[in-house]
Amino acid sequence: MCCWFFLRRMGPVLLLWVAVCLSGSWAVDKGNFKTCDQSAFCKRQRAMKPGESPYRALLETMELTNTRLTLQLINDNNKVRLLLELYRLQGNITRVKINELKPLKPRYEVPDVLIREPPTEPLSLLSQDENGVVLSLGAESQRVIVSARPFRLDIVEGRDVLMSLNSRGLLGFEHLRMRKDTQADPEAENKEGTDPANPAETAKEEEEKVEDGMWEETFKTHTDSKPSGPSAVSLDFSLPGVEHVYGIPEHGDSLKLKTTDSGDPYRLYNLDVFQYELYNPMALYGSVPVMLSHNARRTMGIFWLNAAETWVDISSNTAGKTVFGKMLDYVQGSSETPQTDVRWISESGIIDVFLMLGPTPRDVFSQYASLTGTQAFPPLASLGYHQCRWNYNDQEDVRSVDAGFDEHDIPYDFIWLDIEHTDGKRYFTWDPHKFASPKEMLQGLQDKKRKMVAIVDPHIKVDTNYKIHNEIRSRGFYVKNKDGGDYEGWCWPGSAGYPDFTRPDMRAWWASQFAYDQYEGTMENLYTWNDMNEPSVFNGPEVTMHKDAMHESWEHRDVHNLYGLYVHRATAEGLIERSGGVERPFVLTRAFFAGSQRYGAVWTGDNAAEWDHLKISIPMCLSLGLVGISFCGADVGGFFKSPSTELLVRWYQTGAYQPFFRAHAHLDTPRREPWLFGPENTALIREVIRQRYTFLPYWYQLFYLAYQTGEPVMRPLWVEYPQDPATFALDDEFLLGRDLLVHPVTEEGARGVTAYLPGKHEVWFDIHTFQKHNGGQNLYIPVTMSSIPVFQRGGSIIPRKLRVRRSSTCMEHDPYTLYVALDNRRTAEGELYIDDGHTFNYEKKELMHRKFSFANGVLSSVDLEPNAQFTTKSWVERIIILGASKPSMVTLKTADGENQLEFDFDASMSVLTIRKPGMNAGADWTVTLQ
Amino acid sequence: MRFHIITAAFLWAAFVESRKIRGISSSYKRFYRERKSFLCIDGSKIIPFEQVNDDYCDCADGSDEPGTSACPRGRFYCTNLGFRPHYIPSSRVNDGICDCCDASDEYNSHARCQNTCWNLGQKERAYVEGQMKTLDEGLRLKQQLIEEGVLLWREKQAQLRELQRAAEDLQIKLEEHRKRKHEADRLKEQTLKALKAGDRDVRPESSSCGFRHQNSTVSHLFQLLDSNKDGSISLDEVKAKVVLVHDETRVLSEDEALTLLGGGHQMDLSKFQNTLWDVLTRGDGYKIKDAHSAPGGLMSEDPHLKAADRAAEWEAADLKKVEEAYETVNMEISDLQKKLEIDYGTDWEYLFLNGQCYKLKVYEYMYTLCPFNTVSQKSTAGTEVSLGLWGMWAGPAKNRYSQMVYENGEPCWQGGSRTTSVTLTCGTETGLRSVKEPSKCQYIMDFETPVACQPVLKQRGVHSEL
Repeated sequence: MCCWFFLRRMGPVLLLWVAVCLSGSWAVDKGNFKTCDQSAFCKRQRAMKPGESPYRALLETMELTNTRLTLQLINDNNKVRLLLELYRLQGNITRVKINELKPLKPRYEVPDVLIREPPTEPLSLLSQDENGVVLSLGAESQRVIVSARPFRLDIVEGRDVLMSLNSRGLLGFEHLRMRKDTQADPEAENKEGTDPANPAETAKEEEEKVEDGMWEETFKTHTDSKPSGPSAVSLDFSLPGVEHVYGIPEHGDSLKLKTTDSGDPYRLYNLDVFQYELYNPMALYGSVPVMLSHNARRTMGIFWLNAAETWVDISSNTAGKTVFGKMLDYVQGSSETPQTDVRWISESGIIDVFLMLGPTPRDVFSQYASLTGTQAFPPLASLGYHQCRWNYNDQEDVRSVDAGFDEHDIPYDFIWLDIEHTDGKRYFTWDPHKFASPKEMLQGLQDKKRKMVAIVDPHIKVDTNYKIHNEIRSRGFYVKNKDGGDYEGWCWPGSAGYPDFTRPDMRAWWASQFAYDQYEGTMENLYTWNDMNEPSVFNGPEVTMHKDAMHESWEHRDVHNLYGLYVHRATAEGLIERSGGVERPFVLTRAFFAGSQRYGAVWTGDNAAEWDHLKISIPMCLSLGLVGISFCGADVGGFFKSPSTELLVRWYQTGAYQPFFRAHAHLDTPRREPWLFGPENTALIREVIRQRYTFLPYWYQLFYLAYQTGEPVMRPLWVEYPQDPATFALDDEFLLGRDLLVHPVTEEGARGVTAYLPGKHEVWFDIHTFQKHNGGQNLYIPVTMSSIPVFQRGGSIIPRKLRVRRSSTCMEHDPYTLYVALDNRRTAEGELYIDDGHTFNYEKKELMHRKFSFANGVLSSVDLEPNAQFTTKSWVERIIILGASKPSMVTLKTADGENQLEFDFDASMSVLTIRKPGMNAGADWTVTLQ
Repeated sequence: MRFHIITAAFLWAAFVESRKIRGISSSYKRFYRERKSFLCIDGSKIIPFEQVNDDYCDCADGSDEPGTSACPRGRFYCTNLGFRPHYIPSSRVNDGICDCCDASDEYNSHARCQNTCWNLGQKERAYVEGQMKTLDEGLRLKQQLIEEGVLLWREKQAQLRELQRAAEDLQIKLEEHRKRKHEADRLKEQTLKALKAGDRDVRPESSSCGFRHQNSTVSHLFQLLDSNKDGSISLDEVKAKVVLVHDETRVLSEDEALTLLGGGHQMDLSKFQNTLWDVLTRGDGYKIKDAHSAPGGLMSEDPHLKAADRAAEWEAADLKKVEEAYETVNMEISDLQKKLEIDYGTDWEYLFLNGQCYKLKVYEYMYTLCPFNTVSQKSTAGTEVSLGLWGMWAGPAKNRYSQMVYENGEPCWQGGSRTTSVTLTCGTETGLRSVKEPSKCQYIMDFETPVACQPVLKQRGVHSEL
């Protein structure tokens, strides 16, 4: 939630803010946020012209060891030398690091994002001359060519160039320097002077031009003191043959990234943007500096590991050309290969970039996962429905909303409390009147096997009567301002301090605060929500922290985009610790960075009750999924403003098929619990939430897969149909795993939607009617208010639980119905994953993972994890085979013997329903159709 | 009560057949007589009888699985001996949560459910008894309030009639006073005119004394202006003696003085009497410089004029008083009429609430409900905020007096204005019981009062006990 409500309470304190927010309509006030032109380093770097690279590789400095190649680069204009490191990492990844050879002081290298020092593979020298060197990148005929003058890197496979670095000569590296207009540092001169390797260069060094914004920069009323001066880094990447790039969330934009020639670059700088606008490259709450490129032959990724403010420019030589124009080029043979050029610009730190060379989408996911880890495996219950509102006012309110769900027979797992539940916005406390007996409230939910989430934000009220504040202050854990005092900013509680989450000791202390004896009134079914962790500072520049604030020896400038990840991490670790390491945590965060997937869920922040915001929830979560963050959702109904009933229903229908399914609403909006819109709409919403619950086994299995492999749960169609260009830009429909295709209705008053069903040889079954459709076509589907176009892929088997109960936990022991959708070869495959749903015991193989296959009229279940130990009470109550023909006899064979099963065949839809086979879900069995 | 249970148990025993079907009420037993097959209650399908309650859903209406959780649309009957029987959705059977007080829904789960029906029944009976008592007492009080209401209504009606009579009287009086004032004004006017007219006056009613006086006054004024006593007023003399009423300090310009002299440079007495004298005595533009010698002053010295003036003033003051009284009475009438226009229930039983205010403190806020008037909220910090003005009754058609709506309170941050919806419930005392703000600016109040007690409710109470 953003500054809006803050104004109501703090208005008199910050009149300026009131003026700013009142002057705007519903849209974001763009003037509050920088354009590239207003960000001095971006402006400087973007002003560089291609083709004039001053950098030269000094081949004589090359050193090649078993694990890496190092090489010095020199800037011929100022003679500053850089050190290039090149690594071949396991799994077809190449890492390129560029730092100053001798920086004045260390430059920031992002810690804690990589899960380990990535294991390397040997590099070998293939050839070398005065113009460059050629190295082999392992077995796959991949080579990297280092050209000396100007410096450039080309990664080549066979005869194809996969990717080139500095091919446009836009490598920029602002070396650290002493401020000239104040004094020269004699020591530094001394140092350079005594360097025997290149005494001449020091003398030749050109006078650096001192530009505005290098040593100080003012935006609106805020001045950034820039004690280290200019320190930006930038580098260009060329992707021949590529017309589609994706990723670099978070932006309110389409899945396929747009070219940025005519406007600002995409910006990555975690910001609390009030009422964000869609379809533009403005920065939002989180940043993952990972871009994927894709064409029909190859998928690759670029991971730019830098946590400072970052801008990404994209240009394309085919952008703007019509299909006809492209065709004409092709026919006339005049066409250049399509190519996308990308350029990354960061304010500080070093260049540390991982080139994930695919070649398949799955390879890229696993390559990225090998670097930053995979999605945290969430507790099963967190995949259910979440009911949130700013705010449920008191315990009685919570009780009555909870009762409302039972009364209307709608399942839910979590009810949420926003900031008003605290005692004066002091996190880790409860309002003494409205939430006087939180344990009683939590026990009431526990009795119904339901859970709660309470918010804990990272801004801490400056109040000497507040234990948390006193402890953080006395331990010196607060972020410091540039003058060394505790940094203070305005947020919900008024004046607030910001704990320095970059410090491991701070995080350990924070985590300890979640212990049941520390965080009073809590018990096992209370989980946590981290909001405002960009961090949001109402009176700070761009509503965030001053860049010259200090995290021990590092400026906030260096670590900004990491702050939210650390908050999320410390909180998740706290929830793990409070259970002695037994229970899985559930923590939702608004700000994030590369690696945040390891700590929990993410939502798309303060959206609005508008149809466009419903639509954008799809590309926003798809983009996050591509870069590892699978547990994504948007506020169902829209946070700001009040949705029409139609929009609300459509949003539930969309949200039910997105990974994180939570309804949320702003304090100033009317109530919108599912039963407040008349019985018809209550029924529509009930139905879709129930659908969600029937699919929980599938969701859970997908999350287990995401946890194991890094494959996104919600994925763009091109991930599964990488050779079908028709899928490359689709972002109004998506896949869940491989087997469910969802095309939500996101148009007001829609009478129908046109869904693209991919795969020329595929068939797709409507999950509601079992109607079969051929793949490789655009299918028009007439819709009513109850329609949610969802299709199961022929060839898949999806286990579902049809006995929808009050909460997912209530369904734990329920039997399964297997939906077997046959493909054109009359085969199908699927999986079933079961564990206890809430502990880490799956790491000790206390789990069950089965594989179902159907071929030649035989459906069988085999164990995928024979070494695993888990027993379940759940059994198979029904098998529904779609696209079947009528058998004469159905036989079940288990260890206990054979018996015949009853069945029912619907000839009009070719649906065979096998009645009550009854075997345990963990057993080996076959069902034979004769 | 106990008699009923015994009866029910007896009847139930009589219906028992060879096999007990879990999850159905006695009235449904007839659908489940053990035969070879079972017909789904909606008639959609026939299944073998063994498939009833076999934990697999065969019937679309869920009727084959009343005792299991197999059917999505099924329901399970909690017999709850000792308490109230009721249905729960099949999805709550064996879900680990005790729903039926007789524990019958958790026959195959980890949940250790106790049979709490007897306790609940006792509580319920005590509650119902309390409710009945409240209702009885409430209805008794309501009867009183109705009687009082009728009296109050009559009283108010009488008051209205009285006020209306008073208004009529006042109106007659008002007419009289208007006439009298008119007459006095006319007299004053005439006196004034007569004074002005001097000897040449033609009006018969003026006294001869008046003529002389006026005449002398004209010449007196003329002489006052004629400083050099040459029998005519010159331009300089005008400039020296005449000033603007609104700006005494400014000396008149040549042109202004010329205009006053009718365009010439001199003016003799006769011309003066017909022109400038008129201007000066009118007193709205010009006057003689020295206050005591102003024409008004001269005129007020005239005793007749003085008397006429005083009479006119008197009459005006009297009229004003009567007018005010009339207005006040009319306002009271319209207030009362407005008050009486409000629907106070069929027997005016809600009338007594008008004029009362009820307070309740919730957290840091003091809420005040003044029925049929206003709702407000006062924070401990001290600012009072209107949560709405009386709007209307808003209960459902069959009981429209069960809810009130107050609208157009103070505007809200995001547009719209605060509204309050008040639910009236039966109680032995009248007072505000709870206040909630489920959404910003939308308030919900529970208001308890005997007049909300309905005899119908009593009937229902008796039924629910069965």
